[in-house]
Amino acid sequence: MRNLILLASTAVAIAVLATDPAAAHAIAGNRFFPATLVTDDPGVADELSLPTISSFKTGDDPSARELDIAGEYSKRLTSKFGVSFGESWTQVKSPDGGKVQGFQNLEITAKYQALTSAAHEAIVAFGLSTEFGDTGADQVGAERHSTFTPTIYFGKGAGDFPESLAWARPFAVTGVVGYAIPSRSHDGLSGNAKVLRSGLVLEYSLPYLASHVKDYGFADFVNQLTPLVEASFQSPVGNGGGKTTGTVNPGVIWSARHYQVGAEATLPINRDSGRGVGFVVQLHFFLDDLFPRSIGKPIW
Amino acid sequence: MRISFMLAAAIAAIFAGHAEAHARLLHASPKVGATVTWSPTELRLWFSETIQPSLSRITLVSGDGRPVRTGRLALDPKDKRVVVLPLLSALATGTYRVSWETTSEDTHNTDGDFVFKVGP
Repeated sequence: MRNLILLASTAVAIAVLATDPAAAHAIAGNRFFPATLVTDDPGVADELSLPTISSFKTGDDPSARELDIAGEYSKRLTSKFGVSFGESWTQVKSPDGGKVQGFQNLEITAKYQALTSAAHEAIVAFGLSTEFGDTGADQVGAERHSTFTPTIYFGKGAGDFPESLAWARPFAVTGVVGYAIPSRSHDGLSGNAKVLRSGLVLEYSLPYLASHVKDYGFADFVNQLTPLVEASFQSPVGNGGGKTTGTVNPGVIWSARHYQVGAEATLPINRDSGRGVGFVVQLHFFLDDLFPRSIGKPIW
Repeated sequence: MRISFMLAAAIAAIFAGHAEAHARLLHASPKVGATVTWSPTELRLWFSETIQPSLSRITLVSGDGRPVRTGRLALDPKDKRVVVLPLLSALATGTYRVSWETTSEDTHNTDGDFVFKVGP
């Protein structure tokens, strides 16, 4: 019953926030912001990330090996407002040979692309993510309580750098800042901390270099690459929360006409975040390019 | 089970129906950011998609902001992803900005610009 109320509340929020026109993908002027693997890009689009596969050793002592396979479907309701549905399947193998697996909680995000500046290659968006508690499996750590995360997303390309810094124009930065609020402060004796979630991406777009700065005659495959570094952090705030955890992920995205493929190494920032080097890979589809006249266009 | 269904739906969706995409500039002549020692007689822009010439526009502006006279935008009959814009006057030494606004066949709009130079 509680989850139905949460779902209805999210639907009402969607209806209230729905407004009118803008552009598909995260595009601002000359800048195309690719979908990034760990942090969300600032755009609102019709797209599908399936699958996103990550593997890493947990921060437990002794470490377990965790495998996550996730999918996320994003749909524009209007050109500036969209909703995403995300689900993830987790398998954890412990050193003693034990194994648990199951789905995580369902997460729905409503996002509004509030500001787009073509001249400054900038986007700002606001969103609300709702993780519906008790929709996933206890054995993989799915929380019983729900969590609400209001979030700010931003992206800025360096295309407005002066001529003396033209070589740097393919750079762009995107980021997110969210504040995760649990629906209740305790589950039994265990306190549920609020969590500050943040992420930052630094990317260098070779498509941008070839199309807007200087064509060096690289092969087409090279001109479709975007090397990047993502950083993602979670900082518990109060109510018995612990240390900041997170990862730094160097990698690369290759963008084709209708999809992109990304691959990153996952480097934990401290022992609590994990052990050793993990990885994350993703296949991402641009549904607005695949189906521009049907499911790939805004509903209104 | 849930993941298998989602994967199957995604794969089926990919191979069903006709798909276009946003038209992105791949190459140009003169090249993006290049310095050429001759005055080009036309601009050629290679896009990732076929665009609609009647709904698209390419302009050439000199460094002092003056537009350069151009002919009619047309598609290369050998490759309809290549757009050709004849130039109706010779270009003096200097910096020039090419700006485009395109509508691809699936009605997606894209725009962009780049600079090239004419000089020694």
